[in-house]
Amino acid sequence: MPRRSRRPRTTLLLLVLAAITIITLDARGGFHVVTSGVRSVASDAFSPVRSGVNAIVEPIGSFLAGSVHYGAVREQNQKLQAEIAQLRMQQASATDQGEALKQLSALLNLPYLGNLQTVPAEVTDFGSSDFAATVDLDVGRADGVQLDMPVVGAGGLVGKVVAVSHHTATVRLITDGQSAVGTRYGAAPGSLAVLTGTGAGKPLSADLVPSNTPLTPGEVFTTSGLQGALFPPGIPVATVRSAHTGTTASQESVSLQPTADLTHLRYVSVVLWGPSA
Amino acid sequence: MSGRDAARLVLVIFGFVVVQETVMLDLRIGGVHPDILVLLPIVAGIIGGPSRGAAIGFGTGLVSDLFLVTPFGLSALVGCLLGFAVGLATIALDRTAWWLAPTAALGGSALYVATYGALGSVLGQPQMLHVALVRIVVVVSVTNAVLAWPAMRIMAWGMTRSSTEGMPTSDIGAGAAR
Repeated sequence: MPRRSRRPRTTLLLLVLAAITIITLDARGGFHVVTSGVRSVASDAFSPVRSGVNAIVEPIGSFLAGSVHYGAVREQNQKLQAEIAQLRMQQASATDQGEALKQLSALLNLPYLGNLQTVPAEVTDFGSSDFAATVDLDVGRADGVQLDMPVVGAGGLVGKVVAVSHHTATVRLITDGQSAVGTRYGAAPGSLAVLTGTGAGKPLSADLVPSNTPLTPGEVFTTSGLQGALFPPGIPVATVRSAHTGTTASQESVSLQPTADLTHLRYVSVVLWGPSA
Repeated sequence: MSGRDAARLVLVIFGFVVVQETVMLDLRIGGVHPDILVLLPIVAGIIGGPSRGAAIGFGTGLVSDLFLVTPFGLSALVGCLLGFAVGLATIALDRTAWWLAPTAALGGSALYVATYGALGSVLGQPQMLHVALVRIVVVVSVTNAVLAWPAMRIMAWGMTRSSTEGMPTSDIGAGAAR
């Protein structure tokens, strides 16, 4: 009776062990510096390739989309021309650049940041993974951006930098399931709570809020700024949507809405701040 | 494997990475983008058998992990398991059959996404099971099933002279495209 070769199983075993070793080393911290560095180099190396291919592919994609939706495009074109004429008559000056400038101006005057230095950034992409809530920015180490730096929008906290290359950075949004933000709420000095994400587009939930704490919808949770905290103090994070305590619960169940509009992010500011600052 | 064969394989993997990180990232279907890197261990498993499927799954997984914020090595782990499983499941089948690649891509991709989410959850990322998992499974599986034939052809070119069980890869790749 012929014997089946054991080589494939040995190969698989070795590869699985190698993968588990990499995952364990990465999770334990020390090796994370290496993986983070490799990711950064890969991102730097791949950036020009990505730009070049996009420059070639985008016009082709637009052409194909235009061909497929010819009728709709023609109708839309007529509508747009009428709209342009109307806008000219009214001498309106609202343009995309104007709107962008407004957003950037708002970012330059964020009252809650005080004297902290910031770097304005444009959101270039909404994450490479379907399993994480992240955005990519057009700034990187060359602009002074480093790992773990907070990122804010006009409304408040957006997230923190989790990967950075020479000219790009990836930000984990506060709605991501891996995100946890130490916050204060209520009258000064305020009680402490940890806000955790539950996924992109979903509300945040609060941890450590004692049962029957009186919370009103709209009440703002701000970053705690405790020693060693990942964010500077006083940045608005989220407002209360609803709160209730179950009959046997030891904590209040609180649902919160991020104060920054994370679904329409275009411009953000990276705060040049680290926990040691 | 000679230097030329290795270069071919690297070129194939690099091409898939470029397409994934450019075209596929901009293509969102129901908020989900396709993942053609999952196709590599599947077609490698069909063409080269369990060992090569696992090795290519591991390699492409590591490359894929470079562009993700999920745990480093997770894609490599799931990729090598998938390549091995597909290689093992198809080893006794007629690998020139036209239906094999799309079917393996459909089932293999669904298995990959589900395993990836579940293992990620076990490894301290519970949110990976709270995403729109069914939608991701459907989008990734269907797009990969559609792209399975061209992927087989390309991978057969990349794995020239490296097939297992004595079957020329050109036969497998050509058969799949019939």
